[in-house]
Amino acid sequence: MNAEARPTANRPFAVPRVTLLRASVLTTATLLIASWVHVLSSDRASRQSFFSSETWDRVSSFLKELLGVGSATTPAFLQWAAWQETAALALDTLVISVIGIGVAGGLALATFMFGARNLMLGELAPYGSWLWRGIFLLVRGFFVGSRAIPELVLAMLIVFVFLPGIVPAALALGLHNAGILGKLASEVVEGLDPRPIRALRSAGASRLQVMLYGVLPQALPRFITYLFYRWEVIIRTTIVVGFVAAGGLGLEFRLSMSHFHYTTITLLLIWYLLLVVGVDLAAAALRRLAR
Amino acid sequence: MSLFRIEWSSGLFHSGGFRAIGEFAVAVFRPNLSTDVLDAALRASWTTVAYAFTGLSAALAIGFPLGVLGSGVLTRSPGLRRASIAGTRFSLASLRSIHELVWAWLFVVAFGLSPIAAVLALGIPYGGILGRIFSELLQDVPEAPLRALRAAGASEWRVFWHGRLPMALPDMLSYTFYRLECGVRSATIMSFVGLGGLGLQIQLALDDLAYERVWTSLFFLIGLVVVVDLWSTMVRRRLTT
Repeated sequence: MNAEARPTANRPFAVPRVTLLRASVLTTATLLIASWVHVLSSDRASRQSFFSSETWDRVSSFLKELLGVGSATTPAFLQWAAWQETAALALDTLVISVIGIGVAGGLALATFMFGARNLMLGELAPYGSWLWRGIFLLVRGFFVGSRAIPELVLAMLIVFVFLPGIVPAALALGLHNAGILGKLASEVVEGLDPRPIRALRSAGASRLQVMLYGVLPQALPRFITYLFYRWEVIIRTTIVVGFVAAGGLGLEFRLSMSHFHYTTITLLLIWYLLLVVGVDLAAAALRRLAR
Repeated sequence: MSLFRIEWSSGLFHSGGFRAIGEFAVAVFRPNLSTDVLDAALRASWTTVAYAFTGLSAALAIGFPLGVLGSGVLTRSPGLRRASIAGTRFSLASLRSIHELVWAWLFVVAFGLSPIAAVLALGIPYGGILGRIFSELLQDVPEAPLRALRAAGASEWRVFWHGRLPMALPDMLSYTFYRLECGVRSATIMSFVGLGGLGLQIQLALDDLAYERVWTSLFFLIGLVVVVDLWSTMVRRRLTT
């Protein structure tokens, strides 16, 4: 904790700064200790304690089964047929991530300017009105709500309406990431250079014209950068959403776990890593293009 | 192009699905606030927070040393530095490319249903992310003060402790706080592999079709995330300006 207090020590004049940070350090320390006590005590109370010799036996046998050591059949990740079967699932996973980022990007693009404080209420707004304030609060509320609920929970809700498959998985990912993208993008708008926007205002542009011609061109490059960054995150999450929304590699992963087909899991993990690395590289290249 | 992969014709919707979502939407106005539901939600929130904090401290234990190695600042020989950067960056990338829930699932199979599995499952991918960001922050420190230290005869180790680390620390702490926020969200979904927390309450309530109880847990989750979000925003603003 000594290290955490250090950055404030060389700022002797900022009295309130120190108190907030001190309170935070204290809260963090308390919560940290309480958390570890809670976790360790509930570990001891559970039937299989983590700190026992059995744990290591189980880990080593699990690893052996993942690698297919000592099993009678050929491991799935060495069979060409198994690769061909799972390729379709990998494609599904990729498709989910693309639709998901499409939904997120569309929703965020449609709303992010209405979530920027300076444009809706602050200095750049031509006039304040209850209507615009209402829209602002609504959009911000949508951002907060969709950001707070994890995509997995959203997926569980969405499969009530849609049949399990690609669509609910993509929608869940899209909704959650729309909130994140929207928040990031509105913060970009709030940090924009206000001068071109003021010039447009003084030339008599309406609020929508200001948004289209003043804000959007300035904010779009950063928006696209964030979009590709979120795509990388989404491809990692797709497999997890697949657990409940039953699309792509996730479903197969879950089934193989339940059927104890451990070598298939290894195969799926290899596919997953290939997808993640591929998307990372593609997104990095696209980001460089966008810049 | 991805849209072609969806089978549009063959019934996308559940019959009666819209009625279910209608009932779900209506239930937002009457969340179940009876004492035992609130009690369960409070306990679950505490478990979630505990996972987030323990997971993040594990992530720091992994991410800080790897971040220092990955920035390659401890050595002056260029060959050693390049090897250290490349090797550490690669292992950090492989740590974080697997989602925390996949880690959790593997750990539960390997270790059994111990909360330590949740701590490790959060700590490993988050350690990978922290390590990468830390190494970048340590590299982006302004060079001039470090050169002054070197001219005074400080070893690279001393330059790190007395020059680089103090300068990068506010940003590093600020990013760790931001990750705490994400950690709360990730800790929620640890329940899906049987590790308890708010997600478990949501899952149980959904299985019972008790939408009022779902909303109670969802409100707790949103409240928790908003509180941590505000706190971390406040602390980060103080740290970085």
